[in-house]
Amino acid sequence: MSTCPVMTTNTSKTKHIKGAIMLERQGRQLRRGRHPYRPLVLGTALAMASGLLLAGCGDDDSGTGSDGKETITFWDNNGGPDRTPLWQGLIADFQSANPKITVKYVGIPAASVQQKYDTAVAAGGTPDVAGATTSYLGGLVAQQALEPLDDRAKTAGLESKIVPSFVDSVRKVATDAKLYEIPTSANLDVLWYRKDLFDQAKLKAPATWNDFFTDVSKLTDAQKNQYGFTIRGGAGSIFQLLTEMYSYSGVNSFFDTSGKSTINDPKNVELIQKIAALYKKDTPAADVNNDFTKMVAQFGGGSIAIMHHNLGSSANNVKALGADKVAAVPLPVAVSGTRTIVPNPVDGLVMFKASKHKDAAWKFIEFISQKSSNSTWNKTVGQIPANTEVTSESWVQDQQPVRDALAAINESGTVSVQAPYYLPEFSAITKTDMGPLFQKVLLGTMTAQEFADTFATKMTEAQAKYTKRVGG
Amino acid sequence: MNAMISTVRRRPRRWRFEARNRPEVLFPLALYLLFTLIPFYWMLVFAFRPTGSNAILPTDLTLDHFRTVWTGLGFGIFFRNSLLVGVATLLVVSVFALSGGYALARYNFGGRKVFLLALLCTQFIPGAMMLIPLFEIFRQLHLVNNLWALVIAETTFQLPLSLILMSGFIRNIPIDLEEAAWVDGCSRFRGFLAIVLPLLRPALVAVGSFAFIGSWNNFLFALMFMSNQSKFTIPVGLSYTLGEFDVDFGALAAGGVVAAVPVVLVFAVVQRYLVTGLSAGAVKG
Repeated sequence: MSTCPVMTTNTSKTKHIKGAIMLERQGRQLRRGRHPYRPLVLGTALAMASGLLLAGCGDDDSGTGSDGKETITFWDNNGGPDRTPLWQGLIADFQSANPKITVKYVGIPAASVQQKYDTAVAAGGTPDVAGATTSYLGGLVAQQALEPLDDRAKTAGLESKIVPSFVDSVRKVATDAKLYEIPTSANLDVLWYRKDLFDQAKLKAPATWNDFFTDVSKLTDAQKNQYGFTIRGGAGSIFQLLTEMYSYSGVNSFFDTSGKSTINDPKNVELIQKIAALYKKDTPAADVNNDFTKMVAQFGGGSIAIMHHNLGSSANNVKALGADKVAAVPLPVAVSGTRTIVPNPVDGLVMFKASKHKDAAWKFIEFISQKSSNSTWNKTVGQIPANTEVTSESWVQDQQPVRDALAAINESGTVSVQAPYYLPEFSAITKTDMGPLFQKVLLGTMTAQEFADTFATKMTEAQAKYTKRVGG
Repeated sequence: MNAMISTVRRRPRRWRFEARNRPEVLFPLALYLLFTLIPFYWMLVFAFRPTGSNAILPTDLTLDHFRTVWTGLGFGIFFRNSLLVGVATLLVVSVFALSGGYALARYNFGGRKVFLLALLCTQFIPGAMMLIPLFEIFRQLHLVNNLWALVIAETTFQLPLSLILMSGFIRNIPIDLEEAAWVDGCSRFRGFLAIVLPLLRPALVAVGSFAFIGSWNNFLFALMFMSNQSKFTIPVGLSYTLGEFDVDFGALAAGGVVAAVPVVLVFAVVQRYLVTGLSAGAVKG
């Protein structure tokens, strides 16, 4: 094959010829009426159009108008297709009742809410009111970003209308024991189970841990891709494991009187061993990486008989399986017969210290916490209402998971073991440090005892630092 | 000349013809394609099948999830915002990459190599580290809650790589072409516009595509610098479907389809330039 020498050598002459050809092309384009810089002209036009449109998207922070109308900004800590319309409805009701206050709603995706709040606090862009849970409330309090609400709640007579254990959870998060969050709802870990599969196997919902392990074994049929249980081995595994451990052991505190962690109590270790023994025998092998989305999807897909999650997945479970096929029971009672629960973070509303409209912000918080709003909210999302006037409403009795969870909380013998959310290291220990180690336990490369000892050491150290800091 | 061009064109045709009959080439490619397309198939199935359905084939179709994301979640607004920010970033990055890339390629100034090294080093800085300083700057400029903040932040992070790519590409265009234009009476700027710019089309497509797609997919800046429901972009909208306790898989998949369509279209239109632009800038630079 012959190759043109002009193509293989880049002689200066060739380049000059190419340049001349290009200039000639420009001339031809001009003669045809096409401007040679058409892309440039188009680009400039496009840039100007984008610029004009973007310029129209300016700042519109909260403030007070010339007519005396106030605008407050509210950040929803769990914005989404179900909750955003609900909030917008409540905001519309509030604005009707308070025509001089406008609430600007901003939905924050739940997965990034802590980062968004921390950035806003650090850089000075906080809203007036925001949704928050006790899991990250301590961090906000430590940054001195929040307004204490004790006096306002007392004046409004609000504190007495809130479930006392929820108020207690909120106060325990702050080192000064002040009320930085008005609780609106709470959650509880439950065992979701397939009623139809239980009926077929002639089993009852597990009331004790022995029942649970027996049921899980009986409901497993790996040949048919049906498993008795699904373990949360991925993100969020540790909090769930803690609720199981304390529910099983009946140990009533995370620390003993000397400040030593109770996580490696023999009964807690026993539970870890029993759960790890279920892995791949009565659970899918993929469970080692299960976060709650995969777990809920598996359960909704119909291959799992029992799933440990909280009331939050209620809508997903009912939508996927139908209300007649799914039910929930609180975690079983301890081997000692005591019901021990580790409460989930309490959800509520906080007011930021930097707010320039604190009275308007409080009016909004008060409105959302009152009976009708609290009822509407919790009825729709399927959570436990914080307002005591709502807990006796008929819908609470009609929603079986909420009714049973509330009954478990209110049982006279129930022991509530508060997770130490006040420890700044708690989140890192449970999420970053211990999550991968629990996967090792499931995979058999670490013993339950080693895992529990490591966990306990970290918690004891964190507690000691905290005690020293607060001068205990 | 014509014979020469036809020789050049014939080569890929012959290769394609040969490849068609070579299973050892086609089989791995088919496997790879299957591996790549299965997640897309699942996304489409989830987006179009009703909630509660476990059908693997799209038999019972619904547009409910699209309604949820478009009207319920406000994807219409998020889509418009993403498009505006993407196009503006594309234009700003292209203009700066062209001018800066030309300077780096054609002028030999003191500290040029250090500057290039510094550009490269900026690629190792994660965006999250710059959040608070950028937020502070934008707050002082009254740009928080303004889409220009996203354009500026995106441009800041995309420009270094774009400059490096563009300068490499411009360096591959012989200076003799411009000299020929200057000899014919062109100014440097006119010579650049008339000679260099048309030859940079593949590079512009590569740089522009990266800028647009990078901006289209950025979640962090959109969430952090915007605190207004009407200013969020598509990635923020997508994350709304992942709740604290529940996930709307149908809406997530439908949102994924809405988010993927512009990117797929952009790639479909520009892919032939993209390969040329990237290989020319990267390999010969």
